[in-house]
Amino acid sequence: MFLLKFALLNLTRNKRRSAITVLAVGIGLAALIFLWAFMDGSHEEQRENVTRLFTGHVQIHAAGFAKKMSAELVIPNRPEVLEKIKSNPRVVSLAPRSKCEALIGTTAQSKGIVLTGIDLDAEPLVTDIKKQVKEGEFLSGGEGKEILIGHVLAEKLEVGLGDKVVLMTQAMDGTLAGFAYRVKGVIHSGALPLDEYSAFISLASSQELLGIDSDIHEIAVRLRSRAEIEGFKKDMQTVLPSDSYEMLAWNEIVPEVDQWASYSNAIIQTMLIAVMAVIAVGVMNTILMSIFERTKEIGVMMALGTGPRQVVSMIFFETLVLEFIGIILGIGLAYLLVFHFQRVGILMTGFEDAFAESFMSPVVHPHLAFHRVLTSVKTLVLITSFISLYPAWRAAKMEPVKAIYHS
Amino acid sequence: MALVKIEGVSKVFKEASLPVQALTSIHVEIQKGEFTAFCGPSGSGKTTLLNLIGCLDRPSEGKVHLENEEVSSLAQGKLATIRRRKIGFIFQDFNLIPTLTVRENIEYVLWLQGETESLRRQKSKALAERFGIGKLLSRRPAQISRGQQQRVACARAIIHKPLLIIGDELTANLDHKTGAELMDFIKKLNREEGLTFLYATHDPIMMERASRVVRMQDGRIIDGKG
Repeated sequence: MFLLKFALLNLTRNKRRSAITVLAVGIGLAALIFLWAFMDGSHEEQRENVTRLFTGHVQIHAAGFAKKMSAELVIPNRPEVLEKIKSNPRVVSLAPRSKCEALIGTTAQSKGIVLTGIDLDAEPLVTDIKKQVKEGEFLSGGEGKEILIGHVLAEKLEVGLGDKVVLMTQAMDGTLAGFAYRVKGVIHSGALPLDEYSAFISLASSQELLGIDSDIHEIAVRLRSRAEIEGFKKDMQTVLPSDSYEMLAWNEIVPEVDQWASYSNAIIQTMLIAVMAVIAVGVMNTILMSIFERTKEIGVMMALGTGPRQVVSMIFFETLVLEFIGIILGIGLAYLLVFHFQRVGILMTGFEDAFAESFMSPVVHPHLAFHRVLTSVKTLVLITSFISLYPAWRAAKMEPVKAIYHS
Repeated sequence: MALVKIEGVSKVFKEASLPVQALTSIHVEIQKGEFTAFCGPSGSGKTTLLNLIGCLDRPSEGKVHLENEEVSSLAQGKLATIRRRKIGFIFQDFNLIPTLTVRENIEYVLWLQGETESLRRQKSKALAERFGIGKLLSRRPAQISRGQQQRVACARAIIHKPLLIIGDELTANLDHKTGAELMDFIKKLNREEGLTFLYATHDPIMMERASRVVRMQDGRIIDGKG
């Protein structure tokens, strides 16, 4: 208690200097925690968007389908597999799909796309494709051949609602299959893979086009949360043996999202160390100045019997007190900022296109994870404590006589 | 057995790379209970000698024995332990710790020794009453007079009942009356409790109060080796 009181008293000698140092620690820490919350928020949004927009949490295919995307690679024992997945308690909903590479064209233009046949009732329970139809309507499932295309694709093909496009693909028997479809709706998802390279028709229509009867290529599964993915995959291992089936989590289908998150985290970690080192040097400077001003007093303390270890402890304690107050301030400030921007969001005006390509919406809602706070604080304490050993060592090495007669 | 034994001690300071001979071949013994004044003009080496006796510094040559233990070659940590247990200092300009209260200043050495708070409180209170500063315990040094500050410094020096108390020009910053009162008080402690007291002074009145006077000049003892 005496050391704590003594450290606090020493720090109040030059209140302005101590306050500036505490502010530097607090603002630096708050800025880093907020930056981390901002990045985590955007990554979280990216992940949610990817699973919500079209992947679901897990996709199940026949073994090898993801690489080849061949029409003949349909899911074996479809009814039994669907039943088994449905009965898993982690599953919220599932959507059967067909999928193939196709050429979409008009008389003037053509483009390669991924064509997905979707179950019109099940799909909206797994993804938000229906909600992304901002022009026209979602597929009706009637007799007419209807198609949904992205708005970028529509612009490139120079087609609009009600216009006719032709789809051509290789059917299951290897023949070239093709039908004409009318554009029923245009998708504005904000994600380029959907807006430019995808088209959707009803599952029944795609099964007819590909000649696969009632077979399917893909089961998109929505779980209670992303955290359930590993558990679900483990549950399904015996039901879906890997020689016949493949189970892909959303981040195996779109690995760029997690790769980007890892890259951003590495950058923040580097920044964290750099900023913390700058803060630590500031703290060290404060402590050095404080020691310099108290040279005579430290000499007297040593004369009275304060040993080198006690001097080190005293200086170290002063650093810890400065850090502690700064950390409390920093965490408080960071929580306030995150809390505020979580509610109002941060509009990234001017970055909309770049964000769209990365499945991000231009409004970021920061997300503060406790382990980020802990990492930032641990790094700060570690670096600052390490750097503060230098002034503490210098003080402990003082010769009492020289220190007492220091002017 | 002498409490302090100085054998052939010399001290050389290096000032701007030039060696300055502060003490030359000093031999002196101090017995327990002595009230000894070290006097001489400025630069005669009395403060340097007291610093060596007080384990604040180490000699360039020779040996310093305290209670038959050679202390001149000990590491700083061990010297600090000896100072903490066996020596009390009263400095010329009091050197109280400004952020601590009078009570905390008096208790400082006891805190270093790891004494409990209740024992510290009990001892500091009793001592402060004796020194006539009992009502000032919660004040800071800047809030009391210089005479009172010196009394606090005295209380701090004796609270742990050291073997030896060292004072460096301890009345130089006090008016004559206050200085004389302080010396009488310390003399009383010396008589009643047998405390060994060594002090440097060039004030003839302070010298008169000593039971032994060691005169120094140019880093040598010229009189009163004992």
